[in-house]
Amino acid sequence: MKRILAVLAALTLAGCSSGGGGAAATGGTSAPPLVIHAVDAGTFQEDFNPYHLEGVNFGTSGMIHETLMYFNRLKPGETTPWLALKHEWSNDGKSVTFTLRQGVKWSDGQPFTADDVAFTFQMLKDHPQLNRNALEIEGAEAEAPDKVRVDFKNTSYAKLFNIAGNSPIVPKHVWEKQQDPVTFTNPKPVGTGPYTLSKFSAQLYELAKNPSYWQPGKPEVPLLRFPAYTANALQTALQQGEVDWAGAFVPDIQKIYVQGKPEQNKYYYPPEGIVTLLPNLTNPVLAKPEVRQAISLAIDRDKIVRVAERGYTKVAHPTGVPMPGGEAYVAPEYRDAAYQVDIAKAKELLKGVDPAQLTFELLVPSPFTDWVNAAQLIREDLAKVGITVETRGVAFQDWVSKVGKGNYDLSIRATQAGPTPYFQMRSLLFGGLAEPVGEAATGNYQRWKDAETDRLIDAYAATEDEAEHQRATQGLSKIMVEQVPALPLFYSPSWAQYRTDKYVGWPTEQDPYAMPSPYTSPDAAVVLLRLKPTPR
Amino acid sequence: MRFLARRLGFYLLTAWAAITLNFLVPRLMPGDPVELLVARMKGNVDPAAIDAMRRAFGISDASLWQQYLDYLGNLARGELGRSITFFPTEVSTVIADSLPWTLGLVGVATLISYLVGTSLGALLAWRRGTWLDGVLPAATFMHAVPYFWVALALVFVFGVTLRWFPVSRAYGLDVMPGLTPEFAGSVAYHAALPAITIVAASMADRILGMRNVMVTTLGEDYVVMAEAKGLTSRRVMWAYAARNAILPNITSFALSLGFVVGGSVLTEIVFSYPGIGSMLLKGVENEDFPLMQGIFLVISLAVLVANFLADLAYVVLDPRTRQESE
Repeated sequence: MKRILAVLAALTLAGCSSGGGGAAATGGTSAPPLVIHAVDAGTFQEDFNPYHLEGVNFGTSGMIHETLMYFNRLKPGETTPWLALKHEWSNDGKSVTFTLRQGVKWSDGQPFTADDVAFTFQMLKDHPQLNRNALEIEGAEAEAPDKVRVDFKNTSYAKLFNIAGNSPIVPKHVWEKQQDPVTFTNPKPVGTGPYTLSKFSAQLYELAKNPSYWQPGKPEVPLLRFPAYTANALQTALQQGEVDWAGAFVPDIQKIYVQGKPEQNKYYYPPEGIVTLLPNLTNPVLAKPEVRQAISLAIDRDKIVRVAERGYTKVAHPTGVPMPGGEAYVAPEYRDAAYQVDIAKAKELLKGVDPAQLTFELLVPSPFTDWVNAAQLIREDLAKVGITVETRGVAFQDWVSKVGKGNYDLSIRATQAGPTPYFQMRSLLFGGLAEPVGEAATGNYQRWKDAETDRLIDAYAATEDEAEHQRATQGLSKIMVEQVPALPLFYSPSWAQYRTDKYVGWPTEQDPYAMPSPYTSPDAAVVLLRLKPTPR
Repeated sequence: MRFLARRLGFYLLTAWAAITLNFLVPRLMPGDPVELLVARMKGNVDPAAIDAMRRAFGISDASLWQQYLDYLGNLARGELGRSITFFPTEVSTVIADSLPWTLGLVGVATLISYLVGTSLGALLAWRRGTWLDGVLPAATFMHAVPYFWVALALVFVFGVTLRWFPVSRAYGLDVMPGLTPEFAGSVAYHAALPAITIVAASMADRILGMRNVMVTTLGEDYVVMAEAKGLTSRRVMWAYAARNAILPNITSFALSLGFVVGGSVLTEIVFSYPGIGSMLLKGVENEDFPLMQGIFLVISLAVLVANFLADLAYVVLDPRTRQESE
C-alpha cells in the first residue's frame, strides 16, 4: 500500500517543474532547526515510553533515553561505550556487570546511577510485555553507585546487543511512581539523552537540546522538528524541500529529491539486511541441494537489482553477509566470491531430476511492487533451465501468515542483519526456529535443519570471544554457499535522504559511523551528535 | 406509536447483526496482528518476544465464542479496548481524536454539496433550454471520473503547481491547536481543497434529483395557478415549485449524513487528513482488531441512527407513510 501511494504521489509530481523551495535558512547566528521524517504517520499519539513498539514517537530511544553501549551495525563488531564504560561477563555468561559513566544527569537534574539501570532491567523482568528483546532476566542489582549486575537464566553472551545496545535506560525516580509501566505513556519524558521534549501536538513534536548533556558542547543542532507526514505527503514534502532528513522509499529519486543538486540533496542506502529467495525445504524437490544450486545459478541478480530495485541496492554476497563491513565473518575462501549466471551448469545439475517435478509457486506480497517485479524476472530466468514458476501475489497479511506457517514452495523475504552477521544467520538458519509446517515460525521459514549449523550457532552463543564468534559465523557462511539453505538475492536497503545545506557530518559510504536512516535508533542520535552547521 | 415501536425493534435487530459482523469480519482476515507487527518492525523486536506482545495487546487464544461474549460484555460497559497500532491508547480516544476532523470536513462538504446542488437543480429546471443546461454534464463528468483521480488532479494543479492550497494535514505546522483565530483560519484553509473535491464529485446526484422532480412539479396545477395570480417568478420558483420538489432530496440528505461518519476514506488518504478514514486504513493494514471493531461500530451505528432519523422525518413530512395499508 505504502509504495502504491508513493507511486500515486509521484505521478502527480512527475512533470512538475517547480524547483525545490530550498530550506529557508534562518538569519542570525543561531543554528537552524532540523526537520526530520522518521516514520509515516498521519497523526502522533502522545507516547514516549521507549518500550512501546509502534505507538511510541521516534526519538524516544536514543535522543531522550540512552542505552548502555552503542553498536555500529555498519561495522559489525565495533562498539562504543555510552552510559556504560565497560562490561564484564561472569558466571558462564549468566551475569554481566556494567561500570557506569560518572557525572551523567537526568534532564530534571537528578544524578544517573546504577539504581536506574537495575530498575530498568527489573522492570523488564516484572513486565514481560515490555521485554521486546526477550531477555531471560533473573534479576538486577546495583552493587555500587557506578556498578550494576544483571543476571540471566541462561548464557547470554550473544544477547549483549539486546541488553546493552537496545534497552534504553529509564529514570527510577520517575518510573517507580507509575502504577503500570505497560500502559504508561511517559508524556513528560526525563532522559539522559541529548534532547528533551519541548512541544507536542498531534501533527508535530519538537525535541530541544538538553543543556546539561554529558557530552560537552553537544549536540550542535539546537532543535529537532518532527512533522507528521503520510507516505504520499512526504513525497511532496521532499520535492518542495520541506524535510532535511528522511527515511523513505522515493520512486524516482533524481527527479523528486535530488533535482540536479547531488552535492546538496544526498542519499545513502546501505544494507540493513538481505532479501532472500526462500525454498521451502519440506518440499521434497526443493530439499535436493542440486535443485537449489541450479535455481541460484539461473537467476540474473544484476538484472533484478537494476530493473526491479531501480539500482537503489546491490547484489548480495553469496554468503548473505553484508559487504563491505562483514569481511571478518566470511570464510576466507569465499571472501571474493560473487554471483555468476551459468545456465549450462544449472541444466547439468538438473539432469537427474524429473522435469515434471520442477513446477513451483512463488509467493510474493503484492503491495511490495519491487518484489513482484523481481518475482517476474526470476520466473523468466528459471524458465530458461526448465523450471516452471507460477508467481502469485497475495495480500501482505496473507503472505506473512503463509510464509510463517510454511505453506508455500518459494517466497521472497527480508532478514535483518542485526549488529553482527550472526544475528542474520541465526534467524535464517537456526534449527530451533524451524516449526513444523502449519505452525507459525519466527525465523528459518524455509525450515532448514542441519546439525552442523546448529552446532556453530550454539558455539557462537557460548562465548564472548570475538575470534570464536568470527570462526562460528565463517562456518555458517560456508554452509550458505555450499548447501544453499536460502538464496540471497540483494541487500535490503536502509533508506536515508539528507540535505547538507543546514548541517554536515552525515554518515557516508566512506565513513559509515552509524546507520544513516532517521528511523534506526539509537543510531539517529549518534548521527545528530556528529552534525555541525554547514560552513558559510 | 405502534409504528415507532416496530421500527425501533427492527433497528435493534440490525444493530445486533452489525455488531456481530464487526466482530467476525476482522477475524476472518488471514494472519495475526502480532506476526504482522514483527514483520513490520524490521528486527527491532525479537521474535521470541511474540508471546509477551500478545499478552500486552490482550490477544487471547480463547475460543471464538468466548471472545464474542467478552466483546459483547465490554461493549455493554462501553469499553472498546486498546488499539494495537497506537498501543496503549484506548480505541475510544483514537476515535474521539479523529472523528471531529471527519465530521467537520465531510459534514460541511456534504451540507454545501446539498445546498449548492439543490439550488442549482431548481435553477436548471426553471431555466430549461438556456446555457445553464451545460452545468449538468460538467457535474456528471466530475461524478463519473474516479474520485481519487479528481482529487489528485486538483492537488497537482492547485497544491503543487500553483501552490494556492496546502496539500496535506488538517492545520499548519506553525500553529498550535487551540481556540485561536489563527488555528481556526489554518483549519479552514487546509480543509478548503479536500472540501472542494468532495463537493465537486458529489454534486451531480443532487442536481439531477432536484431538477427531475422540479420539472414534474412545474407542470402541476398549483404552479400554473401561482403564475396566473401574478406572483413574482422568484416566489413561484422557490415557495411553490422547489418546496414541493425537495422532499426526496431531504431524505437522501438524511441518509447521507450517516455516511459522513464513515468519512471519505479516499479524501483523507489523498490529503493526509487525520480523520477516521485514515485511522480505519491504518487499522486494516495492521489487523488492529480493536480499532477496526471500534470504527466499524461507530460507522454502522451512525448509519442506523441516520436511517432512523430519515424514517422519522418522512413520517412527519408525509402522512401517507403512517397509515397501514388496508
